[in-house]
Amino acid sequence: MPLLPTSHAYLEQSALLLQAYPDTTRMTTKYNFPSTRPSNTSRKQKSKLASSSAPTATTTTSTTPQTPTTPLAYLTLKTYNPTTGICLKYRTNKAAEVGRLITSLGKLAAGASVAELGLSNPVPAAPAAADVEMADAPEDASAGASTPVVPAAAAAAPPKGDAGGKGGKGKKKGGKGRR
Amino acid sequence: MPAPLSHDAFFSSLSDLLTKTSQQSRGSVTLTQKPLLNPTPDSSSKPSILIRATDGNTNAPNPKTHKVEKKKQSSKVKLSTVAAPEELDAFYARYAEVCKAGMTGLKKRDRKKGKAKAKGGAAKGAKA
Repeated sequence: MPLLPTSHAYLEQSALLLQAYPDTTRMTTKYNFPSTRPSNTSRKQKSKLASSSAPTATTTTSTTPQTPTTPLAYLTLKTYNPTTGICLKYRTNKAAEVGRLITSLGKLAAGASVAELGLSNPVPAAPAAADVEMADAPEDASAGASTPVVPAAAAAAPPKGDAGGKGGKGKKKGGKGRR
Repeated sequence: MPAPLSHDAFFSSLSDLLTKTSQQSRGSVTLTQKPLLNPTPDSSSKPSILIRATDGNTNAPNPKTHKVEKKKQSSKVKLSTVAAPEELDAFYARYAEVCKAGMTGLKKRDRKKGKAKAKGGAAKGAKA
């Protein structure tokens, strides 16, 4: 169940999945507030304690959940195909994205292909270029449009930087889950 | 599942549901869309889209299991509507509006400035 890093990647992959299995694929949008039940939080803390195996007093103070006055909601988009078991997910908490995402869902429902989605980025030819694009979407959009050679070269040059970017993403993901 | 509602009824109910959830700051609303397949295969025309909305009210009585806790809970909300392929554009335009208006619990754009100190982890705040 991959959690895709960008909405662009999610929509692109979803479009491909819908194209492949238009009849059985369903898309779900979940708007939810993280559970604040005491049982839930204590369980999380317990698991954290177990994993860190540090003295109780210090960890509880450091891992005390930051309790904002109004908890932030999350929007989770999921594209699932039950016959193949393919599931794509995207999670966000930005209100600014809602309109665009729902509109894209409509386009996907109408059977739009990747190109018809009207996303700013052109579909990358090389998979390596896609990686770079995810790390730095706006820049590459312009670069890809004007000179398609540049992203490929950039992808070939720093494989290390690429890996670092992925690691950063992973960290970010973990942060989202905890909040 | 009750019969599909008209678009107007669906949107007003969905708006209520989203607003209620946002005000309570708890719970969830799940929206599902999938093609409504006709029993007669007609590949020439695109299928209508079935849109469902529900709150994940697991406290609602489940007839299959024992009534373990008899809380005074409202029953599970289930809404559905069908959008024909030719009216998808108009439907989704309204759908997006309703969702934007209702999902007020998400992070606002102008909260970006205070994000670093609002969130506990300084490194996290800088990255996100």
